[in-house]
Amino acid sequence: MSSWGTMRLFLRNSYGRLGTLLLAGLVVVAVVGPLLSPYGIWQYGVCKPFEQPSLTHPFGCDEIGRDLLTLFLSGARMSLFIGFVAAFLSTLLGALVGLVGGYFGGPLDVVLMRVVDALLAIPTLVLMIIFAAVLGSGISNVIFVISVLSWPPVARVVRSQTLSVKEYPHVEAARACGASSLRILFKHIAPATTHLVVANMILQISNAIIAEAALSFLGLGDPRIPSWGGILRFAFRIGAMSAGYWWYVVPPGLGIVLAVLSVTFISYALDEIVNPRLRKY
Amino acid sequence: MGLPRYAAARAFQTLVSFFILISIAFFLFRAMPGDPTAFLLESPRIHPQTRELLKQRLGLDRPLYEQFFVYIVNVFTGELGYSLYYGRPVTEIMFGRRMANTLVLVGSSTAAAIAVGLLLALASARRYGSKLDSSLTAFSLVTYSIPTFWLGMIFIMLLSVNLRLFPVGGTITATRVHEGLLDLVLDYAWHMTLPFAVLTLIQIGYNFLIVRNSMLSLIQEDFVYVARAKGLSEDAVIRRHVFRAALPPFATIVGLQLAGVLTGAVMTETVFSWEGLGRLMYEAVSTRDYPLLQGFFILVLAAFLVTNYVIDLLYAYLDPRVRLK
Repeated sequence: MSSWGTMRLFLRNSYGRLGTLLLAGLVVVAVVGPLLSPYGIWQYGVCKPFEQPSLTHPFGCDEIGRDLLTLFLSGARMSLFIGFVAAFLSTLLGALVGLVGGYFGGPLDVVLMRVVDALLAIPTLVLMIIFAAVLGSGISNVIFVISVLSWPPVARVVRSQTLSVKEYPHVEAARACGASSLRILFKHIAPATTHLVVANMILQISNAIIAEAALSFLGLGDPRIPSWGGILRFAFRIGAMSAGYWWYVVPPGLGIVLAVLSVTFISYALDEIVNPRLRKY
Repeated sequence: MGLPRYAAARAFQTLVSFFILISIAFFLFRAMPGDPTAFLLESPRIHPQTRELLKQRLGLDRPLYEQFFVYIVNVFTGELGYSLYYGRPVTEIMFGRRMANTLVLVGSSTAAAIAVGLLLALASARRYGSKLDSSLTAFSLVTYSIPTFWLGMIFIMLLSVNLRLFPVGGTITATRVHEGLLDLVLDYAWHMTLPFAVLTLIQIGYNFLIVRNSMLSLIQEDFVYVARAKGLSEDAVIRRHVFRAALPPFATIVGLQLAGVLTGAVMTETVFSWEGLGRLMYEAVSTRDYPLLQGFFILVLAAFLVTNYVIDLLYAYLDPRVRLK
């Protein structure tokens, strides 16, 4: 199927349309939002502690009188940024491992696949929590921990695709012309795995956003710029649920849900298109 | 390959996985910059003689490969060291009440989620593309996207604080003297309702989608064609042929999914102050109790590899094609 055909089918799918719109909206909020806010994220005392939502502070205020809308907007930027970057890095790593393992085979492939199997068998997020606790908090550590532990599923998928593509005639032709292994791998095999890599990267984004939220909630995120998960940590520790400060708890969580949902919708729509068995009959 | 040979081969693979993972743990906890013992030992405020003594005591003066060997032996003999925070053996803290609480919570919610997920998938696949099917799919995608801890926080806010139906957290009412076993069990169940509901809800969607999609793929197989051709009602075809064929692959997924449940348990237990292993892990993270974290990690590894091994064997027993590969 041509990529335009896929695109048309994708946009005709209501999950695909909804997911794309939602994600685009959130990205705009994350990029533009913090620029429009009149307050800083550490600027306290701009309103009364735990002030209810009002026209001047639509999302209310936290325990030291910070504007929660400002925190929400900067949290959006942080959550989405970490989600996208970590997903990109882990997909890249997974694709490289899959390509190299599948193409060269032999003992290297065996070792790589053993590591993949081992990592796939255990709870990744538990491993992330432990890694993050040992490495310490900070945005680069969070990204590192998420990406270095989420690549195995991508490697598995890309490897099996590589195994079949390397038997294709065009690869054999390239080899007959004397192309080097690296050239064959990246010029002739890698492009044939693109659709899988893209589909997996989308799944990785939702996983990364959820993982980041969980890490931040447990106090393993970046303490300087709170993400949505980080804001929920503040709310949890201050007892916002028991005190009934719903405006502290609801928006950051909804932000996470909408972000993950948009990505999940997109990936579900892609799945319905790529896997014809799931199409309506 | 016969079943015994398959069992032996898989056991060997499982051991290799375990070895790889505990090696990762070794280098993580010893060779990383955040290691607290290293930090303590590098501190200039410690007298050089004390430092030497500590290094000897902890075995840190030995070469790395020797430390690694000792570590492997310790892991296999169950010597996981002492908790920095509690000062008691790590194994003693993990096994017992904490573990029992987690097993009750995780076990019951996983069982409930499997039952409900299967029933919903069955109902949905019978009428593919109907209102029921599409709303169940939407529901699953939404629950799949909700962070576990946030769902817990919302439940606490609505049901515990606003409506006062359930306790805010804990495993039993600490201030109450329980009259007999029944009273204790009821109090325990009352405390478990919300964490149970959260853990069940987040799993249902996943189970539903997996079984539904695998049933939809099976519907186009030849054996379904045959079943229809011999005049079975659509209902009987779905229930007796498609649904049944979708079950064995689902069993292997349940094993893998336990990983997700455990993560969910860490978040749920943290939010609801449920005195289990998950909450213990959160405390270990907060107090940077590395020996406890490492012990927890090794316990989780062992539990998972064993579960997956048992499920694989069961699968191979049920479906001979698996061991022929």
